[in-house]
Amino acid sequence: MAVTWRAVVLAALGLPVVLVVPAVGTVLLWTLLVVVVCAVDVALAASPRQVAIRREVPASVRLTEPATSTLTLTNRGGRLLRALVRDAWPPSTGAQSDRHRVLVRPGDGARVRTVLVPTRRGDALADLVTIRTFGPLRLAGRQASLTVPGRLRVLPEFASRRHLPSRLARLRELDGRASVQVRGPGTEFDSLREYVIGDDVRAIDWRATARRSDVVVRTWRPERDRRVLIVLDSGRTSAVRVLDAPRLDASIEAALLLAALATKAGDRVELVVYDRRVRGRVASTTGARVMASFADTLALVEPELVETDWPGVVAQVRQRLSQRALVVLLTALDPSAVEQGLLGVVGQLTERHQVVLASVSDPEVDALRTARDGATAVFDAAAAERVGLERAAVAVRLRQRGAEVLDSLPDDLAPALADTYIALKAAGRL
Amino acid sequence: MSTPVVTVHETVVGDGTTTRSRSARRWRRARLPLALLALLLTAGILTALPEPQTSTLTLAPDNPADLGGRAAAQILGRQGVDVRYVRTIADVEELAGPGSTLLVVGDYLLGDEQIDVLDETEADLVLVDAEWAVGLLTPSLTSSGGFTDTPEVRSAQCEDPDAVAAGTITASGGLLSTGPGAVVCFPAPGASTDQGGAYGVAESDGRRVVAVADLAPFTNQYLADEGNAALVLRTLGRHERLVWYIPSLDDVGAGGGSGPAPGQVLPPVVQVVALQLLLVVVVIAVWRGRRLGRLVTERLPVVVRAGETTRGRGRLYRRGRSYGHAAAALRAGTAARSAARLGLPRSAPAPLVIDAISRAAGRRPTDVETLLYGPPPTDDRGLAQLARDLDHLESEVHRT
Repeated sequence: MAVTWRAVVLAALGLPVVLVVPAVGTVLLWTLLVVVVCAVDVALAASPRQVAIRREVPASVRLTEPATSTLTLTNRGGRLLRALVRDAWPPSTGAQSDRHRVLVRPGDGARVRTVLVPTRRGDALADLVTIRTFGPLRLAGRQASLTVPGRLRVLPEFASRRHLPSRLARLRELDGRASVQVRGPGTEFDSLREYVIGDDVRAIDWRATARRSDVVVRTWRPERDRRVLIVLDSGRTSAVRVLDAPRLDASIEAALLLAALATKAGDRVELVVYDRRVRGRVASTTGARVMASFADTLALVEPELVETDWPGVVAQVRQRLSQRALVVLLTALDPSAVEQGLLGVVGQLTERHQVVLASVSDPEVDALRTARDGATAVFDAAAAERVGLERAAVAVRLRQRGAEVLDSLPDDLAPALADTYIALKAAGRL
Repeated sequence: MSTPVVTVHETVVGDGTTTRSRSARRWRRARLPLALLALLLTAGILTALPEPQTSTLTLAPDNPADLGGRAAAQILGRQGVDVRYVRTIADVEELAGPGSTLLVVGDYLLGDEQIDVLDETEADLVLVDAEWAVGLLTPSLTSSGGFTDTPEVRSAQCEDPDAVAAGTITASGGLLSTGPGAVVCFPAPGASTDQGGAYGVAESDGRRVVAVADLAPFTNQYLADEGNAALVLRTLGRHERLVWYIPSLDDVGAGGGSGPAPGQVLPPVVQVVALQLLLVVVVIAVWRGRRLGRLVTERLPVVVRAGETTRGRGRLYRRGRSYGHAAAALRAGTAARSAARLGLPRSAPAPLVIDAISRAAGRRPTDVETLLYGPPPTDDRGLAQLARDLDHLESEVHRT
């Protein structure tokens, strides 16, 4: 049961009548009239339970990109369906307007589209579909809320993909395809080709030149088929909010950029999301499926309010990797947490693998450090200074144990990690 | 993204409920609240029903306590007297006329206006516990001025038929006769009526004025004692109608004052229109009150800012007045950054750092040493000064 503004107007139309015949009885009669007319309208309204609803929704959408949830309504009753339909979704899916008016003849169908612009990563489950049908007078109607299942997986935004072209260009510079050839210890022999003007004369292969009439140069390419294992820490330190997003989101961006880059470079990328147990993993996929499975896995990762089990991480890495590989730890450079956890076991990782620790730093601490207005600000600045020193100290201790340490602002972490990867590749340290 | 993979979900028709199952569910959900409501209503009606309202006002006709007057009022009512209980002088003016008795209880709350109305009414007056008003309403009686004390048994000792019929009453107080035609009865034991009595009756302006100095004979407590009942019933039951007036504090007077109540000034159509507007408001409430489906909830992420711990630490420094720790942190930060800028390793010893910084900043080594390794400040001002000096030094190192 629901009434519309028309019922209000009908009730208000009683006012002139009451002015003409000012008696309590008039009011009662008019009330009865309103009730009866509304009841008749309700009785003549189409049943909202005789509407067949079919939902079509994209399986997944990237964060901040629009998706459309389409409901196909078929009128299976014998009456004209005048209805207001609400396709309810959780607030973070950013439904623009989820109310739709439809007019469907018996046996006919109609389609309503709700545009969703999600603002949060993860699985969004559709809520109830509410149909309010009105009678011929549109005074009142019937309403039903129906469960129509629907799920939209919101993938990470991957905003850092804008850094991908420039990094791929750098990668090609390492590769033999570019005109500029860089030969370094991290390269392996690719092929022989004719000399063109501009080539480094040191690259001329004299033995091959002697066999042929042309001058031949060697080309080089970076090592391929190296393994990269990204360990994403989803423990309590990842829940902390830096600027407007949890630290975890910046780590996810970095992981996605690195995965895209390393896949293009011909390396095999794996992912483990871990705090006290494995929350997600991507393993042994190649080619185009890598990015899809990365996005799919990372979409569902949420920070857990538990302390990360670093010996467990080491055990995971051991189990996954038999040969030397690049192990990227996406975690927080939190002095106390690192001292109690990672610092004790990082040596076991660095003795077999190249370890890079990437952490999101907080611009707010930098702002605090330089604030000077008032005694409180100076004390805060001293605290920020101390925090900075402790971070630097713990980073030094990690470097002493053979790990590369990155400490960048949220937006800079992904490109910084990509640059580190390229540098390590160029140096042949993978 | 290329063309997105669209999931088509199963078609849904209705929610598996029928009109019968829905109404059954509604009834199941509503029956407990309805039962509670019914119980409350029944209890309310039962407590409201048994007796009309009672009051605790002295000598009120609806007060069943010792000092009340319900016994007298009910006996009079059963004998066919139309007892009207009023609290305002306006009602007195309306109800009390020729052929009725007007009982006035107490005169503390009577003003000039009320006295005027009482003076002009043509009803017979019975003034109880109203010594001051007696003098104003009849010239033939006046109060002896004594305080009333505990009631005592007094005999009539006069010619008045009501008093003679009563014989003895329990009363106190004294009324004096000051004019012809006035009769005073029930003097104190051992005294004569000239010295004052509890009961006086006089004729003035063609009506009978009876004054009783003490309200004891009228109360539920004493009505059955001695001849009290006879006196009371004879005094109050002389006419068909008895107006029982107890002055009240919020009585603004007869006729004048604030004017008639708002309901009487407004035309009757306003009330009906208001009723119709109420209907409109109810329909609006139903219109806006029905939600189009339930609210959708979702879990929110944790919101703890990363800077919170740093700020907390700053507060701890401040609360503990740890100028030493704060200054050490600021100095170490400046030294570390300056040293890094000058290419010194982190492990460089202090003299080396001082030397390099003083050369880069063009300052004396002793100044730099005092700034970086001197005694810690002891107050807010000193700490702020140190922070500024360190900033200054750092900027000079930066310039080179």
